[in-house]
Amino acid sequence: MATLVLDSGAATAKIGYSEEQVRCVTPASPSGSGHRVQRSFHSPFGFSYSVIPNCQFRSKTARLKTFTANQIDEIKDPSGLYYILPFQKGYLVNWDVQRQVWDQLFGREMYKVDFSETTILITEPYFNFNSIQESMNEILFEEYQFQEVYRTNAGTLSAHKYFQENKSELCCLVVDSGYSFTHIVPYCKGKKMNEGICRINVGGKLLANHLKEIISYRQLHVMDETHVINQVKEDVCYVSQDFYKDMEIAQLKGEANTVMRDYILPDFSTIKKGFCKPREEMVFSGKYKTSEQILRLTNERFAVPEILFHPSDIGIQEMGIPEAIVHSVQNLPEEMHPHFYNNIILTGGNTLLPGFRDRVYADVRSLTPCECDVSVLLPENPVTHSWEGGKLLSESSDFMDMVVTRDDYEENGHSICEEKFDI
Amino acid sequence: MGEKKREHPGRSQDGQRRVLDQATRQRRLHRQLDALEKDNFQDDPHANLPQLKRLPQFDDNNESAKKKKKTRGDHFKQRFRKNFQALLEEQNLSVNEGPNYLTACAPPSSLPQRHFCTVCGFPSHYTCASCGARYCCVPCLSTHQETRCLKWTV
Ligand SMILES: Nc1ncnc2c1ncn2[C@@H]1O[C@H](COP(=O)(O)OP(=O)(O)OP(=O)(O)O)[C@@H](O)[C@H]1O
Ligand SMILES: [Mg+2]
Ligand SMILES: [Zn+2]
Ligand SMILES: [Zn+2]
Repeated sequence: MATLVLDSGAATAKIGYSEEQVRCVTPASPSGSGHRVQRSFHSPFGFSYSVIPNCQFRSKTARLKTFTANQIDEIKDPSGLYYILPFQKGYLVNWDVQRQVWDQLFGREMYKVDFSETTILITEPYFNFNSIQESMNEILFEEYQFQEVYRTNAGTLSAHKYFQENKSELCCLVVDSGYSFTHIVPYCKGKKMNEGICRINVGGKLLANHLKEIISYRQLHVMDETHVINQVKEDVCYVSQDFYKDMEIAQLKGEANTVMRDYILPDFSTIKKGFCKPREEMVFSGKYKTSEQILRLTNERFAVPEILFHPSDIGIQEMGIPEAIVHSVQNLPEEMHPHFYNNIILTGGNTLLPGFRDRVYADVRSLTPCECDVSVLLPENPVTHSWEGGKLLSESSDFMDMVVTRDDYEENGHSICEEKFDI
Repeated sequence: MGEKKREHPGRSQDGQRRVLDQATRQRRLHRQLDALEKDNFQDDPHANLPQLKRLPQFDDNNESAKKKKKTRGDHFKQRFRKNFQALLEEQNLSVNEGPNYLTACAPPSSLPQRHFCTVCGFPSHYTCASCGARYCCVPCLSTHQETRCLKWTV
């Protein structure tokens, strides 16, 4: 039996076999140029997993084809790229699209799944709706005919990895800031504590769309360029450590403005990927003589990520991440508080923004009593941390008893899944 | 052609500057926030291909998916057609019985509201009397009035 671990996010699928059962897989090409996070990782043991767009695309230049998942690599000119996403607000709503992505991932070109010999470990969002959970069971067991299924939340897998690596810790607080939203989820002795779960409706999608909106209003119409502007966001945005100070710097003229960046947009012929003009080549007054299309970014660089810390800046009346961390902990028994503050772990793509960890640490520090130790961990790869946790879990001796087999399902239906899976 | 009434933009006929009421301001904010959830702003590049006669994206299947779909019952298909709002309503949640999707939402911040110029993004001290948008200086105010304020052209 092989185990396929799939952290099925709204933006990217993190997918791969767990170690013992390496097959001859064909992972995506490493680090596509200018494309969405898409990398494969190779361990010393030769197993591999990849981060693949969990969606379909259409392009202006290929008017007859719909591209699925890793096929984004075939699109030579992704300007005006059109997205077809299976998720809405973080929940799976478009099963037709999801199945096509899965057909691609499980199929001959990629993971070559032999369903009758495979266990799938797959993730879902917190408080997933009942009907989505049931559809999930039906599709995995009845349509694909997986032999065994285990469904869980991505954060639960991160917590599992954390507890495995820090055996003496009793509690941890997983902050998962991905594409659709940000969740703060406390775990005690491996168990999720629902009463402490806190969701902020800000994720990487909203940040990119907001950046698109303000650039379009202030300098250049880029509303159709989600793909390009998302890359701009990943290339130039950062989390400020001193917000109003950075605002002052960003207002300065000339070279004193150390926040300012000029970003050369890709034209997908000579410039395949956008980049920042090196500081020494920047023209501070007057125009560039070259013909490239340039975005000048100042306060956008840090005001956009700031929405994660102050959603009310754009009118979303919700707490930001540090305040929500404190709110979440305060919903839990008091004797546990120090354990949570001392074991905060960051996962999800947004935590890669430079300065993210330090800012969370500083803000939580200032909001908590000083006798309380605060520790915030940014794992080496926060995007695939839960995938790695899933792999660890699937290799543990308990895993066998956690899965639902196809026989179980055929006999007991959804109820056995409800009983065994903690979604 | 009949005589057209000359109107100063943003002024009603009696010469008073028009002021958006609270409900309109809220609606505008909601529209802006909803836009931040959109997947695309442009049209589907396949939308106008006549020879394909496409249905909305939900129905966009390739061959293999079509084959599979035929083997399923109709009730099954129905379930694959619900959007987020429908699923949320179907779940029939109440904030009084948690924890659930609704109760998990972060409550409002207790920190003071911060204000930024809607034109340039820098901290702002002034509020547009007509629409409530923030601005930081006279040039930004006039850009605001020309482009958004009461008409929202860009
Ligand atoms: N280096 C980076 N800097 C800033 N943002 C990044 C970076 N890398 C990825 N992101 C953003 O992170 C988001 C994707 O994160 P992630 O893969 O954790 O989400 P997901 O698991 O697919 O979504 P969800 O968990 O919400 O269903 C995207 O919006 C992407 O732009
Ligand atoms: Mg995720
Ligand atoms: Zn201004
Ligand atoms: Zn106004």
